[in-house]
Parts: sequence; structure tokens; C-alpha cells
Amino acid sequence: MTSTWLLYLFFAAALVFTGLYALLTKRNLIKLFIGIEIVSKGVILALLSTGAVKGNVLLAQALVITVIVVEVSLVATALALIINIYRHTKSLDVRQVAKLKG
Amino acid sequence: MTLQTILLIGVVLFSALAVIARDLLKAAISLAVASLCLGLVFFGLGAPYAGVFEISVVAGLITVLFILTIALTKTGGDVREAKLVNIVFPLFFLVFLVVDALVMRSLLRKIPVLDAPAESGSFGQVLWQQRTFDLIGQIAIILAGVFAVLALFRKRENHD
Repeated sequence: MTSTWLLYLFFAAALVFTGLYALLTKRNLIKLFIGIEIVSKGVILALLSTGAVKGNVLLAQALVITVIVVEVSLVATALALIINIYRHTKSLDVRQVAKLKG
Repeated sequence: MTLQTILLIGVVLFSALAVIARDLLKAAISLAVASLCLGLVFFGLGAPYAGVFEISVVAGLITVLFILTIALTKTGGDVREAKLVNIVFPLFFLVFLVVDALVMRSLLRKIPVLDAPAESGSFGQVLWQQRTFDLIGQIAIILAGVFAVLALFRKRENHD
């Protein structure tokens, strides 16, 4: 059963890497947020696969649902923030946001 | 297991496509397809409730929110990205996959299997009785999200 678990963890790590790459290299605010979404997908996959392998799938499901609800709330707030930033700067470039300070 | 592996490869590939794609709309749709594949993986793991949430909420609702934002900020979508970033990504990704595979292979049979108490009852019992505090937190976070969106979209009053 351990090899199955490690297979899931392998893919979860790949997802986290993809998301972190987007966060480190992209400049578009929406792309950055897509990166955050991909990281959360990796974390959810690791959480649920661990629960399924250990025989605690019900508890893992409850935690995953909590994560998804938090994610939706986060997405709604962050996208509203992105729209507000766009209204102010007329751009989705993250470097424009840095110029707002001072 | 083969189907699960194919679906997992689909999740990673569509996520990578969402990062590489220049068009934001294509990126959002790729992310939705990745969520769909992940939801099917959850069904395969014996977690139907998590699968339904993943497909309906993440692949459905969040994609709609993304597309709405892209539509509202259409003219701002042409942010200049460094070309090297997309060219280098497959190389970095392959190197990471090799390192990832080596690490996972070295961990094989080295992680002790801890005893976990067997679960009893239904999903509803676990959610409503064991994780009651989580539900209160969820309600608080949803309300915080609603108030945050309302505050961000409120009409500005002209004082001058």
C-alpha cells in the first residue's frame, strides 16, 4: 500500500512545484492566482490520498471539504481585489501594484 | 489503478498547461479540466463527497469566477511575460519529476506504517459530530468572504 501512497504523493509534489513555478515567474495577477489554486490542488490530493491509504477517508473528506470552502471564499475575495486593482492601475501587471506604495 | 494514474497525469498536465498558456481564458479552462480529473481521482479513492465538491465547486464555481474576472479585465490581459519562463518550464519540470521520483523511490518501505484506529459510522457523523468546530469556522470564513466582497464592491460616495 505504501507504493500507492507514494505515487499519489509524487503527483501531489509535481502539482505543488507547478504552482510554485507560476508564483515565482508569472507577472499577471490572474496567472499568479492560478498558481495558488494549483498548489492547493496538490495539498488536497496529498491530504485525501493519505487519508484513503491509512483507512481514514471519512475524516480526510471532511478536511478536504473544509479546505474547498476556504478556497472558494479566498478566490471570491482575491478576484474582487484583482478587479479593484485593475480599476486603479488599468493593468493586471503585479509590478504596477508595487508602484502604489508611498 | 491504471485509470487513477492516467487521471493523475491528466491533472498535472492540465495544470502545467494552465501555467504555460498565454491566453487567460485557456488557462482558466485548463484549470477547470484539471479540477475535473482531480474530482474523478477522489471518486476512485472512495471519497465521493470530496469528488462532488471538487467538481461542482472548484471546476464549476471557481472557473465561472475566473472567467468573469477575465471578462471584466479584458484589456489588461496583455501583461508582458518573459519569454524564457515558458521555454525553461518543461526543462525544470522534467528535472523536478526525476528528483521527485528518486526521492519517492528512496522513501519506499522506509516510512513505518503507523496504526490508525478503524473508522466507524458514516460521513455525516464524522462531519457533524467530530468536526463540528470546522463547520463553525467554515461559516465564519464564508461570512468573512461575503463581507470582504461587499466592502470591495461598495459604491464610492463623492465627498467633494
